[in-house]
Amino acid sequence: MMKWIRWRGLVAFIGIIIVLSGLWFLFIDTFVERMIEKTGSRIVGAKVELADADLSLFPAGLTLKGLQVTAPEEPMKNAFEIDRVTFSIDTLNLFRRKAIINEMALDGLRLGTVRKTSGALPSRTARAPVVSKKASKKVLGKKFKMPLFEVPDVDDVLKKEDLESLRLAESLRADIKREKDNWRARVQDLPDKKKVDEYKARIDRIKKARNGGIEDILNATSEAAAIRKDLKHDIKNIKGVQKEFEASRALLKERLNRVAKAPDEDVRHLKEKYSLSPKGVSNITQIFFGEQVGKWVERGLIWYERLKPVLERAKEMKKDSEVIRPLRARGADVRFKEYEPLPDFLIRNTKASLELQAGTMTGEIRNITPDQDILGAPLDFVFSGKSLKDIQSIRVTGTLDHIVPSIAKDAANLRVKGYRVQDIVLSDSARLPVTLKNGLMDLDGHLAISGEKFRLETKSTLKSATLKVGVQDETDLLATSIRSALSEISGFTLCVDVYGSLDKYDIRLTSDLDDVLKRAVRRLVQTQVAQFEKELKAAILERIEAPFKELDISLTELGIIDDEIDKRINQLDGVLGDVSARSLLGNKKFPF
Amino acid sequence: MLSVIAKLLKVLNSENEPSQISLAIGFSMIAGLTPFYSLHNILILLLVLVLRVNLSAFILGLAFFSGLAYLLDPVFHWIGLHVLTAGLLKGLWEVLYNSTIWRLERFNNSIVMGSILLSLIFIVPLCVLTNLAILKYREHVLAWIRKSRLMHFIKASKFYATYKSLSKLKGEL
Repeated sequence: MMKWIRWRGLVAFIGIIIVLSGLWFLFIDTFVERMIEKTGSRIVGAKVELADADLSLFPAGLTLKGLQVTAPEEPMKNAFEIDRVTFSIDTLNLFRRKAIINEMALDGLRLGTVRKTSGALPSRTARAPVVSKKASKKVLGKKFKMPLFEVPDVDDVLKKEDLESLRLAESLRADIKREKDNWRARVQDLPDKKKVDEYKARIDRIKKARNGGIEDILNATSEAAAIRKDLKHDIKNIKGVQKEFEASRALLKERLNRVAKAPDEDVRHLKEKYSLSPKGVSNITQIFFGEQVGKWVERGLIWYERLKPVLERAKEMKKDSEVIRPLRARGADVRFKEYEPLPDFLIRNTKASLELQAGTMTGEIRNITPDQDILGAPLDFVFSGKSLKDIQSIRVTGTLDHIVPSIAKDAANLRVKGYRVQDIVLSDSARLPVTLKNGLMDLDGHLAISGEKFRLETKSTLKSATLKVGVQDETDLLATSIRSALSEISGFTLCVDVYGSLDKYDIRLTSDLDDVLKRAVRRLVQTQVAQFEKELKAAILERIEAPFKELDISLTELGIIDDEIDKRINQLDGVLGDVSARSLLGNKKFPF
Repeated sequence: MLSVIAKLLKVLNSENEPSQISLAIGFSMIAGLTPFYSLHNILILLLVLVLRVNLSAFILGLAFFSGLAYLLDPVFHWIGLHVLTAGLLKGLWEVLYNSTIWRLERFNNSIVMGSILLSLIFIVPLCVLTNLAILKYREHVLAWIRKSRLMHFIKASKFYATYKSLSKLKGEL
């Protein structure tokens, strides 16, 4: 048996263990530092840097110094920076692969600090951050576009547009011509001078019968009656034609009146077409602040998506056992019932001091764990600060409840009082940049996220405000008008309501600025519209004037036809007056 | 430098009985197929060093089985997950899960469980087969290799002379 034992091997084993332990002591700090930097960079999608890491064994704990987390969207800025992070780990649980930290202290936490070098990951090593595709898509965001307000050139408009008034005039001109030809032809067919002469010849023949016998007289009387009948028939026909003519002329006159009114219709239509209605610039606050607020909301949601793995891990149930896929590990860990259940990772209490430009805020975060379902308690936090440099008081509270992941509920409240704001960019639009130079703000905000749905409501009240508005182009009437209105404002309220799902949401902004800006814009629009209308009407009238006059003359010319018809009626009437038996036969007495 | 390496090889190859080599291959299979930084591999290292097994064979086997493990990971995961989620064994796993030493061993990881299980199943057949193979090799192939041109070339090298002189010296002592 002893021939199988190699005692020198035992010495070698002890030697290897000692060497490995020595190496561990020498390099573990560097290893931890590199691991934090590598894993952090992968999660954030930008450089995470650590100045120093110090791991102690008795008691087990870790101190991190100079932690910088780059803001992925702005590589020359840190999302946050912490001077010192210290915590101790529960050693016994660490052997059970559970990192339980009872107390953690974050000293010198600062937001948005400037970096000396870029924190962008080299393209060779850059990988997509651990953010859902939905969130990364949202970076594109919604663009709120301020309407262009340019009064179009009247000549350009008229070159492009077909005027209804001209079209009507042309159509009427053709119809008048056709009617004129038609009536001329019909008048030609009416009884004329020749016909009158025929009647007169017949009358003369009757008159000669006066000196004849009874039979002649009787024939003459009968002929006179026939002439009267023919005359009446002709007159009736002519009058019928005259009536038709009058109706047709009235119709043409009515159409001429319509042509006269058509320029007004053209002006109204073109005014609407070229968006010169005041209703086109409603909810100016949305247009004005929407893009900036949209960017803030998007950035917030991206960070929320990034922090989600801290609150929840991918888990699945398999035959009553929970299978957990760690962020970076091969295989899957199966979790069984624990006699004393504890999360794999838990920071029970974190005390942090947040250093803002205004001063220091202190706060606590409780129960940071990706296994809230095991702990049975949500993550909650509270940060507050009083009598800061530019803020009277500030308080942020919140609860991230993922105890039952399927019905996760997150909520946060923010209350700021007496915040002296300075140089805040409200709109970075090149066309109309607006900066809040200074003012005193109170802000109340509430955020609620339930599953994929969320709602953010804030109300800010600003007093003693000075707004600086830059206008790129002095001929931009809308921009100059808004500048003029804003220069008179010293306070306003702004309510932001963001609601929807995390990947599709609406932003509604309301403010009493709306009324002020709307009034200013409406005034401008109305003035410009009136001017445009006046010029447009004059131009259209100028174009329609000649065709209209021509139409008027043509219609007047139709009067000649009417005169002709009248003349013919009068002629026949005159003949009819001569055709009575008495007048034809004189005082001739019958012998019976 | 050459003498130091030769000395090391000499020590390592001093245990060259077929059973010592085959047992080393068996240990290397466990250490190679299972995740390297596992608690049981400390025990394997202790056994490899304390028992008179052939260390060269162990190192070669470790390199071979570590490479093989990359290919077999999906199989280990599949087997491990099925075993860990088998209803019959649930009670046993719960007891182990609540024990610190077993948690350190990470038995509840599908790949650890799958690879350990397969290694333990195959260690005995592997040792027996390797033992037989070595015996057959020495009986039939070794003599042919010794006569080969490559062997003549190696024997003519300075490195081989150093190795040989050390062996001779050890034999005289």
